[in-house]
Amino acid sequence: MMKLNACFSNLLAFGLILFTFSNCGNSERKLPILGERDWTKKTVDGKEVVDTVYNTIPPFSFVDQKGDTITEKVVENKIYVTDFFFTTCPTICPVMKREMIKVYNAYKGNPEVMILSHSIDPEHDTPQVLNTYAKDLGVEGNQWLFLTGQKEKIYEIGQNSYMSTAKEDKTADGGYIHSGAFILVDKDKHVRGMYDGTTDEGTQKLIADIETLLSEYKK
Amino acid sequence: MLASFFIFMTSCQSAQELKSEQYFVEGYQLYTTHCSNCHQADGKGMSNLYPPINGSAALADKAFLACIIQNGMTDKIKVGGRDFNRPMPPNKKLTDIEIAEIVSFVTMKWKKDSTFTDIETVQAALKNCKVY
Repeated sequence: MMKLNACFSNLLAFGLILFTFSNCGNSERKLPILGERDWTKKTVDGKEVVDTVYNTIPPFSFVDQKGDTITEKVVENKIYVTDFFFTTCPTICPVMKREMIKVYNAYKGNPEVMILSHSIDPEHDTPQVLNTYAKDLGVEGNQWLFLTGQKEKIYEIGQNSYMSTAKEDKTADGGYIHSGAFILVDKDKHVRGMYDGTTDEGTQKLIADIETLLSEYKK
Repeated sequence: MLASFFIFMTSCQSAQELKSEQYFVEGYQLYTTHCSNCHQADGKGMSNLYPPINGSAALADKAFLACIIQNGMTDKIKVGGRDFNRPMPPNKKLTDIEIAEIVSFVTMKWKKDSTFTDIETVQAALKNCKVY
């Protein structure tokens, strides 16, 4: 009996391990939600509960390379990748665009994925300038938008919401400093990943994470 | 006598080769830092934004190369039948020898020049730059 018991518990343990393992395999890997979070208290069924408020991309209004006004509605029910650049940038922007082309090609035609590239030099980068730039880069259609607008608004959303540096600096080559990050945003406007947009390694990680994020929505 | 002449010739030759190699390696480093962001590591440029150097007719004109590396260019340029009209930024901080090294690298790498471009050639060119 003892022996049987031991055997049984062994089996149970084995089963448990197996269960844990298969559970691990089944539950998909999820990306973290990045950025500062806040807490609010609210009352549910007479009990006070704490609710986490995640960093969320606020509503915005910019103009794209075709001159159309673009708001947060454009990314409704889509995930998107965003970055900051300017067309006359001699340093990391060309590298970032070379890398972003890989993302663009990987998801071309996928209605769930968009790319938003913000110009941090909106005075020079008018919609016409951005349109020529996009065409010269080989980008057509509405999946990859190049945005310009009020400088303060672009810097504000960059620094505060996308957690990416974007500002004027006369001492930098080209006159601006900005991070080389690609930022992945989910359908709830939460930042789910930040990647080095100047390397193939960073870009491949982004593409892998886009897969992970997309599968969160496949139910 | 003949032997010493021979030795002189070969040593001269290898000094030349050594210098070419040196310019090529230095030039490669400088190219990677200052040029490859746009023109790419393989010199093939990037779509219709930045023209290729590899295969460009401009490689035959070292004076032109030296001038645009130093002063940049704003005029449009046709490379391989395609028009490019994005300004190239100047590189005022590059010294004459650094420009010579970059010119050496690009011409040896993509025009198969056998030897380096010396500082004197670059200095003479820089004195007579037009605005491109």
